[in-house]
Amino acid sequence: MSEELRQKILEYLATVSKAKNRDVARAVGEEKRLVDKAIAELSKEGKVEYIYLDTSYVKLKDKG
Amino acid sequence: MGKETPMADELEKGPWPSFIKEIKRAAEKHPSANDLLKVVERSYKDKVTHWKHGGIVGVTGYGGGVIGRYSDVPEEFPSVAAFHTFRVNHPSGWFYTTKKLRQICDVWEKYGSGLTNFHGSTGDIILLGSPTENLQPCFDALSGIGFDLGGSGSVLRTPTGCVGPARCEWSCIDTLNVIYDLTMEFQDELHRPRWPYKFKIKASGCPNDCVAAIARADFTIIGTWRDSLRIDQDAVREYAEGGLNVEKLVVGKCPTGALEWDEKARELKLKPQDCVRCMHCINKMPKAVRPGLDHGATILIGGKAPILKGANLSWVLIPFIKLEPPYTEIKDLLLKIWDWWDEHGRTRERVAELIQRLGLKTFLRAVGIKPVPQMVNQPRANPYVFF
Amino acid sequence: MAKTDIGPPDFREMLPEVIKKNYGKWKYHEIVKPGVLKHVSETGDVLYTVRAGSPRLVSVDFIRDICDIADKYCDGHLRFTSRYNIEFMTPDKNKVEPLIEEVGKLGLPVGGTGKCITNVVHTQGWIHCHSAATDASAVVKAIMDELYDHFTSMKLPAQLRISLACCINMCGAVHCSDLAVVGVHTKPPKVDHEHLHALCEIPTTIASCPTGAIRRHSDKEIKSVKVREDLCMYCGNCFTVCPAMPLADPEGDGVAIYAGGKVSNARKPPMFSRLIVPYLPNNPPRWPEVVSTLKKIIGVYAEHAQEDERMGEWIQRVGWETFFRLTDIPFTEQHIDDFTHAVETYRTTTQFRW
Repeated sequence: MSEELRQKILEYLATVSKAKNRDVARAVGEEKRLVDKAIAELSKEGKVEYIYLDTSYVKLKDKG
Repeated sequence: MGKETPMADELEKGPWPSFIKEIKRAAEKHPSANDLLKVVERSYKDKVTHWKHGGIVGVTGYGGGVIGRYSDVPEEFPSVAAFHTFRVNHPSGWFYTTKKLRQICDVWEKYGSGLTNFHGSTGDIILLGSPTENLQPCFDALSGIGFDLGGSGSVLRTPTGCVGPARCEWSCIDTLNVIYDLTMEFQDELHRPRWPYKFKIKASGCPNDCVAAIARADFTIIGTWRDSLRIDQDAVREYAEGGLNVEKLVVGKCPTGALEWDEKARELKLKPQDCVRCMHCINKMPKAVRPGLDHGATILIGGKAPILKGANLSWVLIPFIKLEPPYTEIKDLLLKIWDWWDEHGRTRERVAELIQRLGLKTFLRAVGIKPVPQMVNQPRANPYVFF
Repeated sequence: MAKTDIGPPDFREMLPEVIKKNYGKWKYHEIVKPGVLKHVSETGDVLYTVRAGSPRLVSVDFIRDICDIADKYCDGHLRFTSRYNIEFMTPDKNKVEPLIEEVGKLGLPVGGTGKCITNVVHTQGWIHCHSAATDASAVVKAIMDELYDHFTSMKLPAQLRISLACCINMCGAVHCSDLAVVGVHTKPPKVDHEHLHALCEIPTTIASCPTGAIRRHSDKEIKSVKVREDLCMYCGNCFTVCPAMPLADPEGDGVAIYAGGKVSNARKPPMFSRLIVPYLPNNPPRWPEVVSTLKKIIGVYAEHAQEDERMGEWIQRVGWETFFRLTDIPFTEQHIDDFTHAVETYRTTTQFRW
């Protein structure tokens, strides 16, 4: 997984309270499946987490 | 405990086994189970629930599998102030060794309330009630004994299948294996939510559909056959001689009139082209009538409960497909469906609702399946046709 | 760090020897008596199954109890059915009666086969759910105490599947059951304007409503929402997203009953359950109105349906007008559909009964 993509995702998530993977993919201009993979990796590393409201979203870990 | 919980105590009476008795058993060792009993009593008195939803709870690397639950009266019932639930992925067909079950009991006795559902309506093992700080250690222990979390939220939910070839002569597909294989293949989809809403896969071995796949799964796999029913005429005669009214209860109930009972020859005759494989004659005479031998599955799409736009039964997508490991065609189809749904679906829109909004035609094009008459009850009546 | 994504245990390691040997080779089965199945294989092997009812919400000690039985009689294997029943399996006919006896000692009924009422598929209710409009476990217990004899016998025209969902989200997907009990709220959410802004995201809250009944508050000073009560059908989706919109109400909440659904393709195709009783009150701990209504419907069905006719097949044959007449249940404006698929349910023929 490219470090650049991971960095772009983390930077985008820092600007929003929460997002769907699809929105992350659009924001970073990358293929959805690659973004899914990168977010999965980041979650296993504890850098992002998920929140369930009306649907599930991803967010930066411990970001209010 | 005495008279503290009179209404709950009432539910210990009667012949059906009592869940209150079970809560009390757990309460002997777990203060949280004791508080749960009191919360339930309180709900019986107040006639409302005392649980709150929400919060971010989970274990590292997962976006589901833990349901966050908090009491709305935490001061009164501190040991259930946070009382979260684990969904634990069951083995295909809900078969267990006692060794595995005892291991899970030991883990849950250590980290949770000692209360469970075997099983939840999702099919998962439900471990009911853990404080927040125990979630990660409990998960680690579960992983240590070979269990993993099931799905919750906008993920692939825990796939389920019927008992299948393990103990049913009617199963036309290996439900246990296809469910296990898909579960293992799509672990990431099961654990990390990325879709508009939930997606369920269920597999039944025959059209009796014992896991309600047609009503409950977005992706429904139902075993079926392409050739003719197998009829053992001697066994039919045995049923007739045993007192079964073959003419009235078997032939008379065939929905398509595909059967005939030749009283003189004492033979059950079949017009194979008229049989729609409903299972009625097989259910009535399991020793005499059996599914054909050219086994496969019908794939249907879109079954769901009412939320949001109304309930659906699944629609026929592929009338017949051979279902053999490694199930490449099924996996490719699923990926295409998910890509299309994820691209176009609105928040909380199930795949069936998206198909309704954009049209079955659009969906079929997206997943590369050609229309066939088996997909519809009847063609359209209106003249508003797009070319 | 624990391993992630290992998936469930491999089912092949969970299967008893006799099943491993006869996997996919079963030839036929018979119901020896209520709760006892006999499967016969092409290989000549035989497998007996004893099916027992379970309260579903069980302690780990309960699981250990049934493990003890399985260790003693079933070489350390057991399984559960899709309706929460426990199945003990053995190739040895001589173990069947002792098994039944041991199961009885635990206070569990043996049955749930054939033309019976088997275990009730249900949700969490007041045990664990935030949006429950009724309890689940208690209602199920009250129902099964009264219908117990139908679990242990096979005297009905066909199998009768009862399910219960504690709100209209219908987690348990009860919408295709012969009889479905569904918790209903009947009052719109009460908006807590003071706290809503702090607790909820307003756009998410507005978007959560399936009928578009939630709007921003008209007064811009008040950072909250308003509910158009005429559009609200009390689903509780907004409450799931926004705790400042509670809709539980001790007097308004209750139970609706639906009938005539099925999932099996046998004879008639699968069908939805339809509304028959729009509202019965929550009356803990035993919900007598619900139990007596179900008993009455089951009694009428048992008396009038033909052999092998499921509830919905019987109703289709005799017509809903006959069903309401025979059961003496009043037909009201709530019974007439006005949601997405409504018009498909309006009658378009002069054929009907009186």
